[in-house]
Amino acid sequence: MFKLFKDANQRQWIQWVIKFTGWSSFLILISSVVMSFIGYVVSPQLIIANIVFSIAFFITYTFQQHMTVYVIKRVFGAFITLLVIATITFTLLRLLPGGPFDQDKALPPEVIANIEAKYHLDKPVLVQYWHYLSGIAQGDLGDSYKYIGRSVTDIISETLPNTLQLGIYALLICYLFGIPAGVFAASKHNSWADNTIMTIAISGVTLPSFLVAAILILIFSVQLNWLPPALWDGPEYYIMPMLVLGIRPAAIIARLTRASVLEVINSDYIRTARSKGLPERVILFKHVLKNSLIPVLTFSGPLVSGVLTGSFITELIFAVPGMGKHLIQSVTNRDYPLILGLTLLFSAVLVLTNLLVDLLYSFFDPRIKLS
Amino acid sequence: MSSIDNSMHAKSLWSEGFSRLKKNKASMVSLSIIIIVCLIALFARQLAPYSFETQNMDHILAPPGGDYLLGTDSLGRDMLSRIIFGSRMSMAVGIITAILSLIFGALYGAISGWVGGTLDAYMMRFIDILYAIPSLVLLIIVKVIFDSLDLFDNPELKALTGILLALSIVGWVTLARMVRGQVLQIREMVYVEAAQAMGARGWWIVAKHIFPNILGPIIVLLTFQIPSNILYESILSFIGLGLQPPFSSWGVLASDGWRSLRTYPHLIISPSIILSVVILSFNLFGDGLRDAFDPKMKK
Amino acid sequence: MKLINSLILALLFVVVFSGCTKKQSSEYGLKISETLRVSLDTEPPTLDWMKATDTTSSSIVYNIMEGMVAYNLNDPELSLKPALGLSWSASKDARVWTFKIRKGVQWSDGVELTAQHFIDAWQRLLTPKTASEYAYFMYGIKNAKAFNEGKIKDPKKLGLKINGAGDLIVTLEQPMSFFPYLLSHTSTFPARLDIINKFGDNWTDPKNIVTLGAFKLKIWDHDKAMVLERSPNYYGTPTKTKYVLGYIINEKSTVLNLFDAGKIDAIKDLPAIDLPHLRKKPEYHSHGILGIYYLGYNVKRAPFDNLKVRKAISMAIDRQEITKMLNAGHVPIKGWIPVGMFGFEKKLGVDFNIKTANRLLDEAGFKDRSKFPTIFYGFNTNENHQRIAENVQAQLKRNLNITVEIKNEEWKVYLSTLKSKPPHIFRLGWLADFPDPDNFLNMLTSTSDNNHTGWVNPEFDRQIINAAQTVDKKERKRLYKKAQKIIVETDLPVLPVYSMVEHLLVSKRVKNYPMNPMSNFIWKDVELVK
Repeated sequence: MFKLFKDANQRQWIQWVIKFTGWSSFLILISSVVMSFIGYVVSPQLIIANIVFSIAFFITYTFQQHMTVYVIKRVFGAFITLLVIATITFTLLRLLPGGPFDQDKALPPEVIANIEAKYHLDKPVLVQYWHYLSGIAQGDLGDSYKYIGRSVTDIISETLPNTLQLGIYALLICYLFGIPAGVFAASKHNSWADNTIMTIAISGVTLPSFLVAAILILIFSVQLNWLPPALWDGPEYYIMPMLVLGIRPAAIIARLTRASVLEVINSDYIRTARSKGLPERVILFKHVLKNSLIPVLTFSGPLVSGVLTGSFITELIFAVPGMGKHLIQSVTNRDYPLILGLTLLFSAVLVLTNLLVDLLYSFFDPRIKLS
Repeated sequence: MSSIDNSMHAKSLWSEGFSRLKKNKASMVSLSIIIIVCLIALFARQLAPYSFETQNMDHILAPPGGDYLLGTDSLGRDMLSRIIFGSRMSMAVGIITAILSLIFGALYGAISGWVGGTLDAYMMRFIDILYAIPSLVLLIIVKVIFDSLDLFDNPELKALTGILLALSIVGWVTLARMVRGQVLQIREMVYVEAAQAMGARGWWIVAKHIFPNILGPIIVLLTFQIPSNILYESILSFIGLGLQPPFSSWGVLASDGWRSLRTYPHLIISPSIILSVVILSFNLFGDGLRDAFDPKMKK
Repeated sequence: MKLINSLILALLFVVVFSGCTKKQSSEYGLKISETLRVSLDTEPPTLDWMKATDTTSSSIVYNIMEGMVAYNLNDPELSLKPALGLSWSASKDARVWTFKIRKGVQWSDGVELTAQHFIDAWQRLLTPKTASEYAYFMYGIKNAKAFNEGKIKDPKKLGLKINGAGDLIVTLEQPMSFFPYLLSHTSTFPARLDIINKFGDNWTDPKNIVTLGAFKLKIWDHDKAMVLERSPNYYGTPTKTKYVLGYIINEKSTVLNLFDAGKIDAIKDLPAIDLPHLRKKPEYHSHGILGIYYLGYNVKRAPFDNLKVRKAISMAIDRQEITKMLNAGHVPIKGWIPVGMFGFEKKLGVDFNIKTANRLLDEAGFKDRSKFPTIFYGFNTNENHQRIAENVQAQLKRNLNITVEIKNEEWKVYLSTLKSKPPHIFRLGWLADFPDPDNFLNMLTSTSDNNHTGWVNPEFDRQIINAAQTVDKKERKRLYKKAQKIIVETDLPVLPVYSMVEHLLVSKRVKNYPMNPMSNFIWKDVELVK
């Protein structure tokens, strides 16, 4: 049985499926990001197709690498993690003073009783907890208390695409600027260029994002009148929010890349390559870059979820119709189902990206075997 | 990590590190800025020209210059004094939070790493879970809960409790992970095994051998934690969940000023300059420390 | 192999391109010259007007729906004018009301309005399962409260009937002279039960919703924007502008930026700190609204159980100083009714008088001020409330030499504190639900859930019930004056501070922007000029 699998793993067509699905999902992702940026709507079918591609990629890949058991274990662990998080958040919310239906004009007890009956808040906490968990098990995150008639799933599906869009743009900025800057700085180690880039990078992490936003708005929309100060309506509206969200991670990535490139440059095998007389460019791109990007990749897991959860200030300032502001408002509104739903979603994203990064990790660095 | 190899010569390593640090101009400048700001924070009462809460209805929103070097805010309070008192709060948030999360994180990490086995697995599992909760939600909920509890009588502490505890609860996780990693590595070292063989007790080994060796990385991490705490506090202020008034931090001042950016720029400029200078200093100093005490970076 | 690769690549791009459709142009492709662009403070929690409680939702509902009556916004005392109800009359004791419904009013799907639509709406409002927060608004109707509590199951027992002429006849539990005023409120608007039952929770989606106002809902892009369009079925004069585009923007300074960039035509609730600067703009407007800011005293907590202490504190707070400090044009008041409303009294209440205040505090047994306990002042976290709290703190120290400790809490925490154990002094505000003194005075009766002071006075309760049953306007005014006297002169469970003012910026291209004391932004008469 095992032998059969082993043989199958080495077959040409599996290699081909991995290559095809991997590259095509990557290319579709990039091109649809570009298309959405220049004002096209990416159809849901395309997104679904791409998700299918990437799932196919990861499944064939884990299969080929004999990591199926590992991945199943991780996914199972992820469910446990989410269950514990749901419990922790649920408990914390009940400890939070103030109820969802307290408002400046107090409601008569009769009305409160009706509302509590509607949302099962009149039942014991354990029953509510059980009710909530069984809801999740059926894929039902409940109804928002604040947005009457809208389910948490509705709210997520309406706002998540915008947050994702903003987040992906910011991540693109972060990789497109961060990595080259870091590599460049490292290749000119200790020169003025290195110092300038690193100074910019270090300044990028010192300003809180609302100040970066303030500066950008002052320059580009108040003084120069080039860009609209807010809203989410087309390419010119995307530029400032994605800069504000991307500048900090870009700076971190630049510093990280520089450090790891320096480390690789000074390693023995690069010295060997040099002594063999390989041209500097080949060394840099072929050997150094590939190896030095591994720490950057490791950092990508927390980075992706950081960009997604950290978008709330950007969304608030630029009136982006995303999910981030719900994260804050749901707490101030004591909209329990919405808080729980968003928390679970963000946690799931984090857990998932970490798993993906770990898998990619072994893809880029075949020396690492996960089990 | 490679400092471990030389752990027998820990002392010489430290002095070597300091001499390297001294040569790093940027770090030394940063260090002096940090020290100055700390002193300002400690002696705020003596230094500030006015009280931070005295309102002057005749001088509302005065521009910088004259009696008020940095102008006044919407209640006629002196901005300079508010910034000086703000440094007290900001530094308190930065440093106390870092220390709180260090104490808890280090203990947790050390126990987990030292005991190992199933306990370690479970403890790390818990950390993974905490890691996966979006920190913003945790921050807001924890802050609101602690603010409503009224734990202290001292008004300054009262204003700070919520935010300190919230930030520490989010912050200790990183430290715990790091300390555990270090402890795990050092545990396997020859000299620890030797000490163990000679009958030394667990806590003794931790205190005597392990702690001095992981101190370096911890200090480096702390210098990076402090500015990120200060930054986080300013973000919380921005969404209206910062310090309890009338106290203000740089974050509170900057986010208040943000809202009148176009009309009264003096309200945002001075707090944000000091905010970014201090955060920059901590980062540069942290870089210097790391370079100095991590021989891998040696050129 | 290379060929295959490039073929696949080309195929991919074809797939991507065909999978993308050209986006709608910005601003939903509306012509700016016929679109009024405003900002909404939040995503409207719901457009189901029987459930909506917040101002954003109701501002939209007021534009897509109408009630039995409407305010005559030109009248300073906001008398009522016919809307869907053509005329109304009451029995002598104001217990039975008859409303004649306007003929020929069409819903947006062409169905004609009948009295039954009102009964349907009110029954739904009162049904326990609807769980409407404003159900208590209709508790005046006979058996309504019992029905809402589930004690009466049969909706036919409610005091609602239709006579042969198609008029709506409402029987009330108690006489209520101001009953028609309630019918200007969004929660009492008529509804189409057939539509609601058909679509369930989704009935407020643009494709499902059926309304009868001057505008109809065209687009609801959640968390982003809302578009209203002129309704062809409207019974009155058609709207002057064809569209209203409401952007959902939570951050006020963002709205200001957009206003300056010419992307938004009107802003309300200007940030206090920018007022001195914004006042100089030609686009600036302000007007009084029916709302008061007040301080409540917890009369159950010593030393505020002592009337003399309450009086002393009330006399030691200079309201002028507060409004001057706020610099937002608010009007200090001594009575309980806001400026410009029926029942407003100028000469009522206690005056600022340090001497008497000190004497009263001495008499109360606190000649030695160090014996006076520290008192707590609570407010919810907000810059404005903060400033007022700090000012009151400073004034009481200066004028009475007593120590006040101020404590802010996050909004929901504060509300639960008010319910469980209110501080000595707490701040609150009250905005009119309908412009009748009953709305302001009823909240201090012993049965009200909004009375956080713990103060009870049967005499006051009687006055309020009495006034509610009185039809004669002059007599009502006298009764309300008497009632006000009890709370702001005799018993002092509360201290009114100021009557509110609203500030707006309205672009020059907008004419007739609605500005009225009820802050009802009804956009149908707004005109756009070049």
